[in-house]
Amino acid sequence: MLPLTLLNTSQGHPMLVELKSGETLNGHLVNCDAWMNLTLKEVVQTNSDGTRFFRLPECYVRGNNIKYLRVPDEVLDIAREKNQQQREEQRKSNQPQRGGYNRQYSSSGQRGGYNRNRGGGNFGRGGGQFQRGGRGY
Amino acid sequence: MENTDPSLLPSIIFTTAAQLVDCVDKKLLVVLRDGRKLIGILRSFDQYANLVLQETIERIIVESMYSDIQRGVYIVRGENVVLVGEIVSFTLFFGSVAFDLLLTYLNLKDPEKENSIPLREVSLDEIYAAQQDEIDNRRRRELTKNSKLIDIGFSIDTQQEDMY
Repeated sequence: MLPLTLLNTSQGHPMLVELKSGETLNGHLVNCDAWMNLTLKEVVQTNSDGTRFFRLPECYVRGNNIKYLRVPDEVLDIAREKNQQQREEQRKSNQPQRGGYNRQYSSSGQRGGYNRNRGGGNFGRGGGQFQRGGRGY
Repeated sequence: MENTDPSLLPSIIFTTAAQLVDCVDKKLLVVLRDGRKLIGILRSFDQYANLVLQETIERIIVESMYSDIQRGVYIVRGENVVLVGEIVSFTLFFGSVAFDLLLTYLNLKDPEKENSIPLREVSLDEIYAAQQDEIDNRRRRELTKNSKLIDIGFSIDTQQEDMY
């Protein structure tokens, strides 16, 4: 599970964000995107010395200013569970249409023309396979 | 290009984030641009070298003292990473040639100190005090240096806060 996937699953959880400037933001993650831009709510902001505190009802952080994020331990477990579930669902959705012969060709990309003629079903499966191969390490 | 034996491929050393594949699920030392040292288990990473660290501790080192703080799960933004290194367990390291070299390098190779670890652990209060002293000293040095530089005609427009 990729760092940004983990960030996504942290939505709704409390987290600590430290900016490059050394300021920290403590709050609940509302939303985030592929650039690590964040929206937080119920935020406590501290200055870089940790001497002053500000309460903000909500705030937006542009991703490039982030140094690191600290998330609760349990978020890792939740992310792992979700990952497992997704994989299971994908496997199930692949099973009913068992066309081993076609699937092989669609995933390898050879004879694409032939497969395209066989309709959209193959495409969906091909995409699924691509995702599986491309994920992670 | 006559040598295309596929078994040779693993010997290519990637100097990109792909290199980190070998480090997944291992205990790593991560140094950040602000000088912070994090020690944790690498759980995942991406093409920007964004890292997920689990069971992380932050180690503050001042001179020959250190102290650890339990921190938990980190998502480190790749830009801020200076180096990532795998930690070989000390029992393996201890007594090895590398350890011997390190001791020689650190001038610790006298018979009495032979078995001593170069760093000693101190309490958090102590390390914070030492760290603050270090920061104050650095700031003072910087001020003196700057005023001298201004005296001889240089202009100063940056403060050296970033280590890298």
